[in-house]
Parts: sequence; structure tokens; C-alpha cells
Amino acid sequence: MRDRTVRRAALALLPAALVTAASPLFAGDGEMGFTNYYFTDSGANKVVTTSFNLARKLLEQTTLLLDIELDHVTVPPITAVTGASRPQRDKSQPFEKSRGQVILGMEQGIGQNLTVSASFYRSQEVDYISSSAVGTVSIDMFRKNTTLTLRGQYNADKVGKILESGDVFNQNKFVYTGAVDLTQVLSPTTVLDLAYDVVRLKGLLSDPYLQVSVIDDQGGTVLVDELHPDNRTRHAGTARLSQFIPSIRASLIGSYRYYWDTWLVKSSTAELKLNKYITNDLVFGVDYRYYTQTGSWFYQPDYIGTGFTGPLYRTVDYKLTPFSSNNFGLNLSFMLRALGSPGSDFEFLENSSLELTYFRYFNTLDFSADILQFAVKFSI
Amino acid sequence: MRTFTIRAAAAALLAVTAACLGGCVAVRAADRGYLADPIMEREDHFAKQTLAQKFFSSREGSIGGASGIGGGCGCAK
Repeated sequence: MRDRTVRRAALALLPAALVTAASPLFAGDGEMGFTNYYFTDSGANKVVTTSFNLARKLLEQTTLLLDIELDHVTVPPITAVTGASRPQRDKSQPFEKSRGQVILGMEQGIGQNLTVSASFYRSQEVDYISSSAVGTVSIDMFRKNTTLTLRGQYNADKVGKILESGDVFNQNKFVYTGAVDLTQVLSPTTVLDLAYDVVRLKGLLSDPYLQVSVIDDQGGTVLVDELHPDNRTRHAGTARLSQFIPSIRASLIGSYRYYWDTWLVKSSTAELKLNKYITNDLVFGVDYRYYTQTGSWFYQPDYIGTGFTGPLYRTVDYKLTPFSSNNFGLNLSFMLRALGSPGSDFEFLENSSLELTYFRYFNTLDFSADILQFAVKFSI
Repeated sequence: MRTFTIRAAAAALLAVTAACLGGCVAVRAADRGYLADPIMEREDHFAKQTLAQKFFSSREGSIGGASGIGGGCGCAK
């Protein structure tokens, strides 16, 4: 209990500590932001996230990037034999864990039209460790009307399982990502984004905690761990059109994404967002997102036969079942530029904002979630 | 195989269209004020998922197609 109190206190104090630590950096160009995120769902899971990010110009064309994120996750006691992604240990008690994430990177401009960046990412929780290196090249063309961005990423993850004894059993997962993004200015009020990425995954790709109920040849029921193929290739293409509408001081952003992979999961996502200035400094946003997917080739509602206690693939991961979802979002942004007139003590507020966002998510599997997010952004 | 060919052709068509647009459309920097407005939601410096994207990637079976750094979601799946 004392540990939990200390952890919560540390989480609450983190923003203040980071502001203090970053204050000497206030003198130059850059931006800094804090985000708090609260998540709760129909399964009584809860996540609280605090995030801090900083982009600070060190030289004319060199920018330092830092992002720190802390999560606290609470999973309720297990009341059914399958379906809970948490350890069986102390299953009558809620399972709580914290996760820390750091991204440290550098962005370097080369000449007028080329930017390269490199970032290192590390995320750690009691039963998952992820390390990643990311490289990005961005090229402006046609008098900056076109931007082509290429991204490569390598992840080496350790997927852990907390055993009954309390020990953690780790297995490896490797992820290779390649992405290309083309941004095209179409008019003084319209931008088109086209993106494609391919992701290759190898290693443990199942959830180590999920168990499948298999009906054996004698009609009995046996609980066995999930078993997924150990490799998967994902593809996704996205088109996004952003339109500014000067007559009503609003933007309309529509996107469509098509996804397919080697497990035969296919999905479509369509999203439409409207942002509208209510006053000079207050923006109201409304967002709707529809998502639908097919199931993987090895998903079955029931697994019958002794083969499924052996080498045959099986899953109870609902992310591999067919379903659709809807998401509604509301957003209020308050720009602080009125307080940050040039030359005043509050000049750093010139490009700053406060933002409050609420999402309501529900899907055809009777799952729903509420997400509340509060963000503060400062120019520094 | 046929499906793949259709998709590859569609992707190539989009790329060629975008490249042509790049050559044809030339909006001067001074005329791009609306595009720089905060409500146009351009991406920030970080090649990381937004918190909303992180939620979707832990709840839906199709990660990808958007910037997305990292593994380990800190989520309750």
C-alpha cells in the first residue's frame, strides 16, 4: 500500500519536477507539452497516463526531442477462466503495474529541403520491455509543396509472463517497420497525405496470459495457452485530406485507411473530424471514427479436437475476431496567444494552448471505453 | 495474386497522381497561412502514436498506417 502511495505521489509530482528541470531551456525556440490521460472500460480496467514532451532547438537546424511517459494500469480480479490478459497469480486481487517510456531523439536539417532524425525508444513494465531505434528522412520538393518522408524502425521486445511463483518468463519479439508518407499541398486551403507502411513481426506474437478452452476427443474441456504463428506481415495504406474552410473558420479532415496482413485480417477505418473556431482563441472539435475488421484465418468460436492442445494454432484474442467499432470524440482547445503578446513576460504563451478531449468507444463485442485527455502545450 | 496486382496498381496510380500534382500545384509559401493554422492538425516532431492511437492499437487487430513508435502499450487489454 505504501509503495502504491509513493508511486502515485511520484506520478503527481512529475510534471512539476519536469517543469523545474526544463526551466533553463525556456530561453530558446521550441515547444513543450504535458498530457494526462484517463481510461476506463466496461471490463473495469483503468489506465492513467502522464506524458511530457519537449522539442528544443539547440542550433539553427538542430532540434533535441525528448518524450517521457508514465502509465499506471489496474486490471480487475479474474472472474472467468479465460479472456483476462493478466497473471493468474493472486487472481482474486486487482493486478496493478506501472510502465515508463522514454524517447530521446535528434532532428537535423540539412540545407533548405532535407531533414533527418534519429530516435531511441525504451519502454519498460514488469512483464514487457521494448527497445526501438527509429530513423526518418524527410525531403521537401516543388518549393515545399510536396514532402516525402521515409521511416525505418527496428524493435526488440521482451514479452514476459508472470508465473505463479512470481518469476517472470521472457520471450523475444522483433518488429521491422518501413513507412513512406507523401504530403501534398493542393491549394492554399487543402493538403493531401498518402501513407503506406509495412511491418514484419517475428517471435512470440500471442498474449502469454490468454488461455483457450479446448474440447478434446472425449468431450472434456482443457485449458491451454494461446498459440499464434511466430511471424506476421502487416500492410496499411492511408489517405487523408485536410481542408481549411475560411468562410466559417473551420477545418474538415477526412481519412480512410485500408489494412491487410498475412493472418488474413483485413480492416477499413474511416474518420471525419471538424474543428471550428468559436471565438478567436477557442476551438471546438467533433470527431467520428468507424472501424471494421475480419478475423484471422485461425480464429474459431470453438476449438474442438485434441490437436488444439498441441501444435494447431488457437486464439481467444478478440483482436483476431471479426468486429466493428464506433468512436465519438469531442475536443475543446483554448489558445493562450492573447496572453502572450510579444515583449511581455508571458511571451512564451504566444503559441500555447490548453486542450480537453473526450472519446467514447464501443464495438460489436459489447466492449465500451471512455477516455478523457487533458493537454497543455507551451512554446519555449 | 490478382488482388495484390490490383492493390499494387492502385498504389502506383496514387503515387503517380501525387507526383503529378506536385509538379502542377505550386502554392507560394506566403499563401499557406491557412495550412499552418493549429486546427489543420499537422503532426508534431515525434514519430510516436498519439494516446488515442495507442488505445486503438491495443483494442483492434490492425496496427500500422499511422506514425507509431514503440511496443509495450501500458494498457489493460
